[in-house]
Amino acid sequence: MTRWLAHSQITYLGLRPVLDLLFRKDESPAFRIWVRFLLDITRRACAGKQPVIWMNAFAPTEIVYGLRAVPVMPEIIASLVAYLGWSRRPIALADSEISTDLCSFYRCALGLVLEDYLPRPDLILSSSHLCDGANKFFHSLSEIYGCPHLMLDPPYTRNPHGHRYMVSQIKDLVVTACEILGVPLDLGHFASVLTLSNEARKYMAKVNVLRRCKPSPLPGRDGLSYVAGMNFSSLGSRWGSRFYQSLYHHVRGKVARGQGYLQREKRRLLWLHHIRPYYRNEIFQILDEHHVAVSFEEPNFLYWSYLEPSEPWESLAGKILSNVWAGPLERRVEAIRKMAEAYGIDGAIHFSHWGCRQACGGAGIIADDLKEKGIPCAVLPGDGADSDNYSPGQTRTRLEALVEMLE
Amino acid sequence: MAREIYGGVDIGSLSSEAVLLAADGIVAYSVMNTGANPQKAARKCLEEALEKAGMETTAISAVVATGYGRIRVPFAAKEITEITCHARGAHFLFPGTRTVIDIGGQDSKVITLDDRGRVTDFIMNDKCAAGTGRFLEVMAAVLETDLEEMGPRSLKARKGVPISSMCTVFAESEVISLIAEGYPCEEIMRGLHEAISRRIFRMAKRLRVRKEITFSGGVAKNRGIGETIQALFGQRMNIPQEPQITGALGAALCARDLVRK
Repeated sequence: MTRWLAHSQITYLGLRPVLDLLFRKDESPAFRIWVRFLLDITRRACAGKQPVIWMNAFAPTEIVYGLRAVPVMPEIIASLVAYLGWSRRPIALADSEISTDLCSFYRCALGLVLEDYLPRPDLILSSSHLCDGANKFFHSLSEIYGCPHLMLDPPYTRNPHGHRYMVSQIKDLVVTACEILGVPLDLGHFASVLTLSNEARKYMAKVNVLRRCKPSPLPGRDGLSYVAGMNFSSLGSRWGSRFYQSLYHHVRGKVARGQGYLQREKRRLLWLHHIRPYYRNEIFQILDEHHVAVSFEEPNFLYWSYLEPSEPWESLAGKILSNVWAGPLERRVEAIRKMAEAYGIDGAIHFSHWGCRQACGGAGIIADDLKEKGIPCAVLPGDGADSDNYSPGQTRTRLEALVEMLE
Repeated sequence: MAREIYGGVDIGSLSSEAVLLAADGIVAYSVMNTGANPQKAARKCLEEALEKAGMETTAISAVVATGYGRIRVPFAAKEITEITCHARGAHFLFPGTRTVIDIGGQDSKVITLDDRGRVTDFIMNDKCAAGTGRFLEVMAAVLETDLEEMGPRSLKARKGVPISSMCTVFAESEVISLIAEGYPCEEIMRGLHEAISRRIFRMAKRLRVRKEITFSGGVAKNRGIGETIQALFGQRMNIPQEPQITGALGAALCARDLVRK
């Protein structure tokens, strides 16, 4: 029954008025847009009228929207499942198939796949930058579903040769995807998608500028959940531009009223890494208790420039290659320095998600760099999706010790 | 004018400590097992210290709680982490301290501090309690010896038997196998102490360790580990007379700051 409900578009149609009612009092209209967006893409993925493309969070969604397909991101679904407190069962199921040392977001997603809870893909698309497990995971999924897997392989270094290499990969991938899905290559539509992405980007930049204000207008827990989620999954869609426009007006209103998300903000933190633990935990509650705001988060750092609609492949190649988390660690360090300065940061938390090699590997160097600038940084080891790896006592001690260092 | 007394209680996972502090130093202290009820342990521990000092609860100006059970001490004026408290305590006892190595019942920490005893950085063990007091307790049981005996006995061994596993459960099996193979218990004990020391040494390498180093926490009472850890770091360390109360002492110092503010 639950499986049938998960695959039926009626479920998501029915859930919309229910969730609208439930969240009617939520102060952020952008949050409500996010909820509707999730329901809409899931409904469309179940409706069978458009191709469904599974993709990893770091591949550009503009490609999928340009192909008039519906994106499904297993990592984002896993974070939602963890947020709802349902991740234990799928993770346990996946643990009988793959190593428990692998990322719990992928393990959770695999469990959901094995139980057949997710809309089935027509095509799988992944990119190798940032997440070292992505291509292998998505390749396994393509074998499970018996559907093609297309891969992007961004080069390590950023130079004209690498850019040309990336452009040719994107072009080939889009042409191949069109053949597989039986859809025409519509450059006009790709141009519209890039225009929508630019629109979202414009408001994202404005939100980021407003977030420099003191007190912090937007809670870091939101920045790491639905805001980062929309950054990964909505760019290139109408939902994306609506969302960021709405978020901008919401944040602007709060700044105009001098309203911070905390009653009395004493210190400002920068959250490092793309994720936080999504299951029930006390992290933000502890920080709130001590009047310490998470003022900005790494995933919301705007690293790419305007996308030229008439040159989609070149623009998207540029976007991928300008990702500060890909390539040498110096890029990320430099971006973090900029964030620390722009947001008047007093301290930082590096959430080192077990299973996330590229993030954990750089944590020590990043923490040392911040410390040299007089910014204490606590490395918080943990797990984003597997609540069995959460240690409340140790987490509290680490966070409170950081707070005490800031006092 | 009545003598000002400040209380510090450190409610750890295995043991609890209380320290009563006056302007001229430590008045009394007590150490006991935490048991299943941290709240009860905190009260009992403080009462015992008061009894030793011949004082009533009303004599205390303020109490600060630390340790993992700090949030369950209703009579505490403030809760402060054991990281800050160990730094304060170690700096009070040895003002030249710039690094603290604290090995407690279920966790280990390396803390760096400035010349005023303020924490500048720290690192903690994560996920498991390998190489901590609990680990030693289990090993003592396997070796059929008292925990207090492990230190002096290990010092009798000329070399340690290499112990490869740091997981308490796997190390237990490994020690049982070594006993069966006929290795002297003293050499096994020394091997265990060396393994614990290596683990904390690796952790410390991730911070900028500066002289002087003070070794605190219940495990610092073990002279065997004291020897191996100092050999590994290549320098003498300050080891308090009663290293187990360093956190509670730091908490009492924080209580004094609270009152004086």
